[in-house]
Amino acid sequence: MAERRGGDDSGSVRVIPVGALARVEGEGALHLVVDEGGRVAELRLQIYEPPRFFEAFSRGRRADEIPDLMARICGICPVAYQMSAVHALEAAFGVAIDPAVRALRRLYYAGEWIESHLLHMTFLAAPDFLGLDDALQIARLERAEVERTLRLRKLGNRILILLGGRSVNPVGVRIGGFHRVPRPAELAELGDELRRARGEAEALLRWFGSLPVPSRPQAVELVALRHPSEYPMNEGRVVSSRGLDVAADAFEETFEELQVPHSTALHSRLRRDGGTYMVGPLARVALNADRLAPAAAAAYDALGQRFERPDPAASVFARGIEVLQAIDEAIAAIDGFEPPSTEPAWAPRAGVGRAATEAPRGLLFVAIETDAEGLVQRLRIVPPTSQNQRQIETDLRALAPSALGLAEDRLRRVCEAAIRDYDPCISCATHFLTLTVERRAAPCA
Amino acid sequence: MRVSVIGVGTRQGDDAAGLEVAESLARRALPPGTRVATCERPLPDLLDLLAEADAAVLVDAARGSPDAVRRVERAELLRSPATSSHGFGVAEVIALAEALGRAPRRLELVAVAGATAIEAGAALVEDLVRGLAAERR
Repeated sequence: MAERRGGDDSGSVRVIPVGALARVEGEGALHLVVDEGGRVAELRLQIYEPPRFFEAFSRGRRADEIPDLMARICGICPVAYQMSAVHALEAAFGVAIDPAVRALRRLYYAGEWIESHLLHMTFLAAPDFLGLDDALQIARLERAEVERTLRLRKLGNRILILLGGRSVNPVGVRIGGFHRVPRPAELAELGDELRRARGEAEALLRWFGSLPVPSRPQAVELVALRHPSEYPMNEGRVVSSRGLDVAADAFEETFEELQVPHSTALHSRLRRDGGTYMVGPLARVALNADRLAPAAAAAYDALGQRFERPDPAASVFARGIEVLQAIDEAIAAIDGFEPPSTEPAWAPRAGVGRAATEAPRGLLFVAIETDAEGLVQRLRIVPPTSQNQRQIETDLRALAPSALGLAEDRLRRVCEAAIRDYDPCISCATHFLTLTVERRAAPCA
Repeated sequence: MRVSVIGVGTRQGDDAAGLEVAESLARRALPPGTRVATCERPLPDLLDLLAEADAAVLVDAARGSPDAVRRVERAELLRSPATSSHGFGVAEVIALAEALGRAPRRLELVAVAGATAIEAGAALVEDLVRGLAAERR
């Protein structure tokens, strides 16, 4: 830990670099400025990861190339990008998908939720709750839970391979359906394993329930999709804990993005009042608890008091509940499987399609405009981490005053853990986060 | 007792070097029982491959002069900054395998820097496989 003393017009400034934030995806830094009175003067979640220009280089591409291109955005949540994009394209071309395809897409998405949530819970978040430095220490001390996590994650991975063709940059999705429909025998075997996995997922969540997970309730507006009868994944209206209820098509009229100097990822806010909001598993569970399947609903009830007020620190429990939900979604899709009765068919036309789906980290909006030949004229992607940035800053601003008295190492851990509650995927939104604390002291007499 | 050759990487440009070395090995006559595998995703695929091997030669792409091939020490690997999503690259998965008691008893690491070094990389890996196979006897 280095310490440097500098000076400016206002007096001496303490800059205390306190290391890199590990266990997040992407490159960023947190900059805290503390004034003479010990108050937080400035707080910036700095995302300096270079922009990757997916929206720009998709222009002029054929629509049928888009699902494969979108899978390249993220190694953790390729399905989410594929799903939002393919639904937007289907809206633009007026393609009605076969109900069997719809069910298989739920299965596919469930696989990604299982993989992503479990990675975050045990390998990224659990070390925070146990005061450990990394997942390797968890593996040594809590081997049974790590082995359990790995067994469960493998099921998610198998679902991705089954429908995506491979788990890295999957290529199985096409407009109107999948390139390959799984054989009933493949699905039946997977279904049996998923049924056995439910108990394991419940046990893992019970273990998390026994850990000293902190509490940080706050007045934040939660935003998620809501479907008339299902737990939201691929469709629904955009609703919030403060009464927002709009069609996903109206996303762009409801939310706005803005550039801020300290981030290469755009910030998002509500047009209504400029307010920040939070997307992700916590928002989904809170706004859709009545849509949970029995095992997930029972887990939600058991953890009831953690969801009475919006608390980003309770996100880990929401992820555990959604692992259970995803297992039951996958089982339902497999048990009800019937091969699609129609071949995916579509014809290009000039149009605009908009779609929102629920990525593991939260609502992911995509708008695509095509010309008469089906070439992409405009692509807009609003990822969940980008939407959560302002809320992360708001959360830290509320948290920091109580933590500024802590030793620097402890302060860093508290801030890192709070950021990790959002499971930010910084590469998606635009690798490691450095925290600097600047303490502005009064000029020496 | 089994020796595994594990080629790690992705199909993107020079990062495919480890996969291509493994594919070259698969075409060679290797000691009986030698297994050749490729892995594009360290977690969970590499973890499983390590768990199944008594001895392994892991080959991955690395930065360096285009024709460079070399053995890498564990300590050097652990010093390198993590670059994979959420910090789970090759080094982290090897450490995780060790923490879980799933690591092979012998592990050799080979770095190959690009497409012009595939054959040299494959020759080095083959030598290491033969050495490990003989060691077992």
